[in-house]
Amino acid sequence: MLTNTENIIEVRGLKKAFDQNMVLKDINFAVKKEEKVVIIGPSGGGKSTLLRCLNHLDGNYTGDVLFKGQNLGQLSKKELQLCRRKMGMVFQQFNLFPHKSVLENITFAPVKLKLMSEAEAIANAHDLLKQVGLDEKAKAYPQSLSGGQQQRVAIVRSLAMQPEVMLFDEPTSALDPEMVGEVLGVMERLAKTGMTMVIVTHEMDFAQQIADKVLFMDNGHVADIGTPDYLFNHSKNFRTRTFLAKVM
Amino acid sequence: MFDFLGQYYPVFIQGAAQTVVISLIGICIGILLGLVVVAMNLSKFKPFSWLAKTYIAIVRGTPAMIQVMLIYYVLSKALPIPDIRFLGSSLDRVIPGSIALGVNSGAYTAEIFRSGIMSIAVGQTEAGISLGLSENTTLFSVVMPQAVRNILPAMGNEFISLIKESSVLFYIGVQEVTAQALGVGGTLYNFIPPLLVAAAIYFVLTFVLSQLLQLAENRMGRKYLALN
Ligand SMILES: Nc1ncnc2c1ncn2[C@@H]1O[C@H](COP(=O)(O)OP(=O)(O)OP(=O)(O)O)[C@@H](O)[C@H]1O
Ligand SMILES: [Mg+2]
Repeated sequence: MLTNTENIIEVRGLKKAFDQNMVLKDINFAVKKEEKVVIIGPSGGGKSTLLRCLNHLDGNYTGDVLFKGQNLGQLSKKELQLCRRKMGMVFQQFNLFPHKSVLENITFAPVKLKLMSEAEAIANAHDLLKQVGLDEKAKAYPQSLSGGQQQRVAIVRSLAMQPEVMLFDEPTSALDPEMVGEVLGVMERLAKTGMTMVIVTHEMDFAQQIADKVLFMDNGHVADIGTPDYLFNHSKNFRTRTFLAKVM
Repeated sequence: MFDFLGQYYPVFIQGAAQTVVISLIGICIGILLGLVVVAMNLSKFKPFSWLAKTYIAIVRGTPAMIQVMLIYYVLSKALPIPDIRFLGSSLDRVIPGSIALGVNSGAYTAEIFRSGIMSIAVGQTEAGISLGLSENTTLFSVVMPQAVRNILPAMGNEFISLIKESSVLFYIGVQEVTAQALGVGGTLYNFIPPLLVAAAIYFVLTFVLSQLLQLAENRMGRKYLALN
């Protein structure tokens, strides 16, 4: 089948069930280079599950997920690992390594995977930390940081792998309200650098502002899809309207 | 009552040293084996996990004394170990004996490792995998170090019981501290005082070890909570 090489990620006929529970029901969409795709929708709609299929964190699905034209389901373990390096992932619960300092969290994977020398990785980490305003925390351990700081470090950890796309699963949902802004700010700046991004979020203002394309996921379907202007202001889709009325 | 120590103390020191040596070797083999077995146990490749579970079940379900004897008799046939004296025993007994202790301990440490790994949130594994690390690197560099901290108390108990259980090597003629005490008891026609001395030696060994482990635990805990 022909693939559009402009598409960094392409999802075709993706279906997934946990036992009898169909969670993803025939999902189709693509993410172009530099595009910001935001996924919104009610709890339990399958957003996290979808995101976890995009980097094959969960490979137990049918249908195709392609990263730069490579079908993840057909790759060897090694090839899959190479793809994952290129897909950063940021989790709701940060998932920093608690036994490693901030600096070690960031440099561990690039050094281990021989992307760069230790000295380069450290220099790069300091550089990235400065960009998110956390360089003075380089030696700290994650537990001593606030949630917002931890999440910024987690973003830096992913960026240190020099990914081509970044996946975010509700990066601000576990944060105290006053810390949401600092993380969204980092993401906005990242967007301006031209990073390709797929973002699951409940922050509707942020979604409208950053997205090129918004997916509304409901009950395992992409129930609605379009530009933020269409989806937030003009969509006639009943479920989209009901959802937005509830959250905005 | 303990006058005999004036004459026999070198025997007890030698026995204590032997106990320390076989326990250390046993602990090291047990840890290495435990790591291999837990990796097999958690492997998605079924025959590996089946093999690991069988090993654990057999070791836990049979007496240590029989395991030691079986391993000793099998190894002494299979491995040509020279008959060199080491702390009052021949190496061809000490080596199979220590290996047997390790094989026994490996099953318990594998289970301790497993519970430690289970105690680490799935999120840690996912974070490692999503960075492009292999499953093994994630297991050994991300999950294990955290698991080690969580399991340190349980491992401490395992080390302590291994030191005590190392007395089973008496049955294959390793002159560890229990064997030496019984030997001295035989010459004195009185077993109680030398056995009390042996008990005191075990107590000192396990007490020192548990203090060291406590220290390690505190240090690791402090690092986790370090500010800046
Ligand atoms: N590991 C799992 N095992 C079984 N069912 C699961 C698992 N993970 C998710 N599910 C189910 O899949 C469905 C979709 O879950 P998912 O987490 O993808 O939703 P979501 O859209 O991310 O919701 P939220 O906004 O609450 O994060 C839910 O019904 C959930 O119960
Ligand atoms: Mg979710």
